[in-house]
Amino acid sequence: MAEVEETLKRIQTHKGVIGTIVVNAEGIPIRTTLDNSTTVQYAGLLHQLTMKARSTVRDIDPQNDLTFLRIRSKKHEIMVAPDKEYMLIVIQNPSE
Amino acid sequence: MLTDPQDHLAHQFPLEGELRPTFSGLSDFLHRVEDMIVKELAKNAKSHAFDGFDVNWEDQNETVSCKHRLQHLVAQEKGLHVTSISWSCTGSVIACAFGRVDDGDWSAEKSCVCTWNLDRRGLNPKRPNTVIDVARPVMSLSFHPTSPSLIAGGLYSGEVVVWDTNRTQDPVLAQTGMSTDAHREPVYQVAWVPGQRRGEMLVLSAGSGGRVLLWTVDGGSLVLSAGYALVRQQVPHNSSLSKGRGSSNVGVTSLALSPWDSDTFLVGSEGGLVLKCSFSAQELAAAPPDGESVALRAPAQFSFSPRGGPVHSLHYSPFHRNLFVSVGTDGLARLHSLLQPDPLLSLRVSDSYLFGVRWSPTRPLVFAAATGQGLVQIFDLGRKSLRPAATMDQLTSGQPAYCMEFNPCQTDLLAVGNADGSVNIWHLSTELTEQGHRETAQLEQLANEVAE
Repeated sequence: MAEVEETLKRIQTHKGVIGTIVVNAEGIPIRTTLDNSTTVQYAGLLHQLTMKARSTVRDIDPQNDLTFLRIRSKKHEIMVAPDKEYMLIVIQNPSE
Repeated sequence: MLTDPQDHLAHQFPLEGELRPTFSGLSDFLHRVEDMIVKELAKNAKSHAFDGFDVNWEDQNETVSCKHRLQHLVAQEKGLHVTSISWSCTGSVIACAFGRVDDGDWSAEKSCVCTWNLDRRGLNPKRPNTVIDVARPVMSLSFHPTSPSLIAGGLYSGEVVVWDTNRTQDPVLAQTGMSTDAHREPVYQVAWVPGQRRGEMLVLSAGSGGRVLLWTVDGGSLVLSAGYALVRQQVPHNSSLSKGRGSSNVGVTSLALSPWDSDTFLVGSEGGLVLKCSFSAQELAAAPPDGESVALRAPAQFSFSPRGGPVHSLHYSPFHRNLFVSVGTDGLARLHSLLQPDPLLSLRVSDSYLFGVRWSPTRPLVFAAATGQGLVQIFDLGRKSLRPAATMDQLTSGQPAYCMEFNPCQTDLLAVGNADGSVNIWHLSTELTEQGHRETAQLEQLANEVAE
């Protein structure tokens, strides 16, 4: 699984990245660079939000689908790349 | 120079060790999304799209205003001062202790602890919701961190008491009494600290006898669980202090628990010492045994540069694990890093004594200081000028403001206890409570400066 670790490391060391989390289809985190409690919080909440975002897109147009989700807050930007089996969450502080 | 332990080592979740399940398709998934993510990360790092973009979710509060002025007439008639205040864990109730801060032997003076529920309708600022009569002046107070009805208090006589405001008959839940384990001198600080067992909380008490004691609630008594004695000979790097003269005990006037490291605490003394201490210190104290049931240990590990007078208040920064601020009778607020003895910054707050200092719970660069002239000065370290960002006059006709606490839930409320027996509840402006963009980074910069 060295490839997985290397890919995650490349993402994590990018400028301003605070944390990287991989979540499975059930919303359970399977890889993370953050501490346990923070990871569990992000994974649970963002999994729910991503599902809601996806159903919003598909309700408006059943031929469309969610490809990427970004949340901009005062302090960071949270990016979610969704997929059938997994979800990648990256938290970045853009102004660093 | 001390070094800081590393945080946030990357780890695998949920299993560690050799056996890790191989997730089929994980490698392919990451391969698919990597380019897209890296492209977006790079664009973000360069983008100015959101520069200066702010959203107003909350109502903007332009001014600082005094919401309530709480008084207990009986205590005021006796000329008692508010020595300590504490908010309940829910943020609804403010409790204040009455006693006296000036010198003199008034150990027989009766006093009380009063509480007001600010969220209850029909709040009468002149009528507390609860009045607990206490036989001796109360010098320190602390609400339990999870049980909203329990309050610990330290008395002038050295006793430590836990009251339960739910009890109607006799509010005393447990007390130390005048046992051989108890303090013999006024207890200036009480706090609740987690015990060994899950959910267990111990009462910590510290006083001018130089003892820091930990008590468990056992039936109607507070039983001594562990104890520390601060003795001058055992204070590290003590060369600058004069030897002899007076007791060798280091009288504790203030104490701060670290929100970052449950083993560390800071102590401020009558003689101007600021010491970093550890609960797990093993060395026995050089104090002569006085019938205590537990062997007292020497907790001091590091000495910060001493002040010219008693240290009345210490507070750890809630935003940086190595920063704390201290104030005392020299009228200065000193910002310290835990890693070096000399302060990073010395701010002249007042020509009078300073009695309290508290960091803002929401703005990393902001702290408030209570002065002997009855003012609370708020400083913003992000500003170029070192003049206060706001001044709150406690309207005590020049009498001191002794203690301050931010509400743990409604973080824009600040309670101030005064020598004229009043407690003022202030509502701070949005400017003083809303965190700015790069505040945490600025604080980090400050913390990394090395003193000359």
